[in-house]
Amino acid sequence: MSDTRDAAGELRRRGFLRGAALGVGTVGAVAGAGAATAALTGPSAHAATPAPAATPVAAQDAPFHGEHQAGIIRPVQQATAFLAFDVTAADRRELTELLHTVTDRARFLTAGGTPQALGITAPPSDSGTLGPQVPRDGLSVTVGAGASLFDDRFGLKDRKPLRLKAMPAFEDDDLDPAWCHGDLSLQLSAPHQDTVLHALRDIARHTRGGMQVRWRLDGFTSPPRPSGTPRNHLGFKDGTGNPDVGDPATAGKLLWVGDGAEPAWTTGGTYQVVRLIRMLVEFWDRVSITEQERMFGRAKDTGAPLDGSREFDTPQFAQDPMGDVIPLDSHIRKANPRTADTAGSRLLRRGYNYDRGMDGNGNLDVGLIFVCYQQDLERQFETVQKRLAGEPLVDYITPFGGGYFFALPGVRDRGDWLGRSLLA
Amino acid sequence: MSAESDTEPASPAAAPEPEPIAEADGEPGGIAAASPTTRSLTRRRVAPAAGAVVAVAAAVTAAVLAGGGGGHGGDSADGKGATATQAADGLPHTAIDVSTGGCGRGWGHPHAGTQVFDLHNSGSAASEVYLSDPKSGKLYGELEGLAPGTTRQMLVDLGSGTYAFKCLPEDTDAVTGPSVTVPGHQPQGAATLPVTQHDLIPPTLAYQQWIGARMGDLARGTGTLKADIDRGDLAAAKRDWLSAHLVYERMGAAYGTFGDADGAINGTAARTPGAVDDASFAGFHRVEYGLWHGQPAAALKAPAAELDKNVGALRDGWSQARMDPAEMGLRAHEIIENTEQFELTGRTDYGSGTNLATARANLDGTREILSLLRPLLTPRDPALPRLDSAVERLQHDLDAAGHGDAWTPLDRLGRAQREQINADTGDLLEQLAPVAAIFDVRRTA
Ligand code: HEM
Repeated sequence: MSDTRDAAGELRRRGFLRGAALGVGTVGAVAGAGAATAALTGPSAHAATPAPAATPVAAQDAPFHGEHQAGIIRPVQQATAFLAFDVTAADRRELTELLHTVTDRARFLTAGGTPQALGITAPPSDSGTLGPQVPRDGLSVTVGAGASLFDDRFGLKDRKPLRLKAMPAFEDDDLDPAWCHGDLSLQLSAPHQDTVLHALRDIARHTRGGMQVRWRLDGFTSPPRPSGTPRNHLGFKDGTGNPDVGDPATAGKLLWVGDGAEPAWTTGGTYQVVRLIRMLVEFWDRVSITEQERMFGRAKDTGAPLDGSREFDTPQFAQDPMGDVIPLDSHIRKANPRTADTAGSRLLRRGYNYDRGMDGNGNLDVGLIFVCYQQDLERQFETVQKRLAGEPLVDYITPFGGGYFFALPGVRDRGDWLGRSLLA
Repeated sequence: MSAESDTEPASPAAAPEPEPIAEADGEPGGIAAASPTTRSLTRRRVAPAAGAVVAVAAAVTAAVLAGGGGGHGGDSADGKGATATQAADGLPHTAIDVSTGGCGRGWGHPHAGTQVFDLHNSGSAASEVYLSDPKSGKLYGELEGLAPGTTRQMLVDLGSGTYAFKCLPEDTDAVTGPSVTVPGHQPQGAATLPVTQHDLIPPTLAYQQWIGARMGDLARGTGTLKADIDRGDLAAAKRDWLSAHLVYERMGAAYGTFGDADGAINGTAARTPGAVDDASFAGFHRVEYGLWHGQPAAALKAPAAELDKNVGALRDGWSQARMDPAEMGLRAHEIIENTEQFELTGRTDYGSGTNLATARANLDGTREILSLLRPLLTPRDPALPRLDSAVERLQHDLDAAGHGDAWTPLDRLGRAQREQINADTGDLLEQLAPVAAIFDVRRTA
């Protein structure tokens, strides 16, 4: 446990360990709750709501051109790389050139084709890691702007999206500055890791002078085990409860920026939050199943809410006002209380698992690249994050990085480019 | 910055560079083969083991024939006639003959755009093949070492204009095939004039002279350093170490010609514990290690004397040295590759924290070689102004880290400054890579 952790965190963890030592009483109480769950999930199980997106892992193509960037709505793919860049371009003209270049590369890489033939004038234009022809492999390229892009360097101060700012440290965070923020975000997702890496190599090669990687974390989505939404490193299905942004009315309310108070150029964009969250999986594996399930409010095997029997059953918090079945401080209950008051705080999650080797103490360095999109940072992400403050789960996770970005409006056609409405 | 002189061959810094496969299978010896210790040159100039190449070639021929390789142009998917077919790659393919008698035969239906020529060597000798503009002499594509009986692809992007294939069989005069005109008003693809060994002789001689002139400075520098240490004045030694080392670091394009002397003068130690105490660790970095790790003058006398002696020998022998002209273009690019790999990572820091000063000296060396190549480069590289501004930018940002003799150590750079230097270096390297490609020595006759 890091020494920058707040006192409350220290206390709570010690509190937990003490509870475990006390033993039987606690376990008995938990077991009692488990029995209650079983009782509820029997005949009275709620009617299953249809799975929002039939295939949680995207295999299909999404066109590069459009009103919005394709990678936002699109379900998670098997492989991803999330990067934050610092812009090294000297001025606004160079920044414009940089975004033109990123757009051109993204357009080619998402469409695939034959790399440019340069004859004897240069080394090959493509790394060739995908073969002589770049396949169209469902790649999506999503670009966002961080608050620091709107400082004095590029004359964009008066254009900052209304709610964009540097991501603050929340109560349970242990942020490492080297893993936070950035002028630009770039997420590359595809069905195959080689496609992601090929795209990253290509984009970096074409933009070396204009931007430098500040941090990078690669992620993946597991196959459904055995079915439904893929699981995270804690063994729980992750991504079940998401608003149906395929419905334009929902997307208009929760996702796309279109508020009159926002600068006009932001139309078609959305706020992107990324949180790099380490999971203490060894610790987690030493926690009883009941305890684990009560932390989330869902069953580990099926992913069903503890008051339901199937993954997409809707939890009925109103029928469980004391939290006997789904604890009041469980993750899903805090994250989305499902009341009329909290409906506006829902957000679109697009998280990925990460694995970056081992830690100095011999533990696995794995976790979640939590990515979410919303119309309003404060009304949605920050509200949810604050509701989650102090939830039991925080003892098993450490948010160490990430940032706030504004995912740029889409590239409408061949003449358009990322950031045109911002810079032109 | 001398990777090739690392005292432990197995260390990462000395790992051999990968060889592009396409170039590894044989290359006619148009120029003197480089010394095998010259890392960068070996990369491109693999001395062909002629017998082996022929054997492989024969095997490939058999496979091509057995697989119906003669069927190029047989099935006309796009109706363009017998010589242009659509292949699995979605590109138009045209089968072209490479031989003394039929060079370029088969190009019946010229058209603009990205396309593939399937070049088949029906002659009896390995051949180079160029696609050129016969009037300007610019090359649009090349294939080196096409073995007899084999078929390989040449991908090109052609605009409207006149083209001809040129076949250059080993040991035989070049043959230019018929001129073919691509109709219409399409802009032309990337092309440039080839550079011959002959073209490179004047700048190579001039560079050799330039190095010769630096040799005096270098020998004076290591002499002063030795005298400081002999006197026991370690403060002066630190200062004089830096200036002597920077003289050496400006000579980057000549290291290949220095051969083993480079290892003795500027070698690094392995990363393994104790390697810095090994007797084989010698030269500038050995002295640096001692000076910046509190070693007494007495312990540094021998290394400083040995360094001075080796530098003296290098200077005395230089008038006999002959640089390979093929090194010029490669070094113009790769000096900065080495800077990025060994200086900007701190790999070569033995305590002085002067990697950025070294980087700056390397950049001076690159500037010198570029200035000598400039007359050849100007008509060949339309991106030269971008290259120039990339050099300027890196120089400017490196200079910001230097304050006279005091240079900011890498780990003391602020994040923004570090990112800027990385960006400048990366951008410069992208601009330098075409220089090496353009200066790949080519036959023209
Ligand atoms: C490592 C950290 C986290 C883990 C392991 C985690 C895991 C889960 C799991 C297993 C679920 C239930 C299944 C599902 O609906 O997807 C869930 C739901 C959810 N989580 Fe998280 N989560 C984490 C962090 C966060 C953060 C930082 C937020 C937002 C601030 C968040 C917001 C939500 C929301 C909104 C739901 C859906 C609730 C619903 O609509 O029922 N989670 N999370």
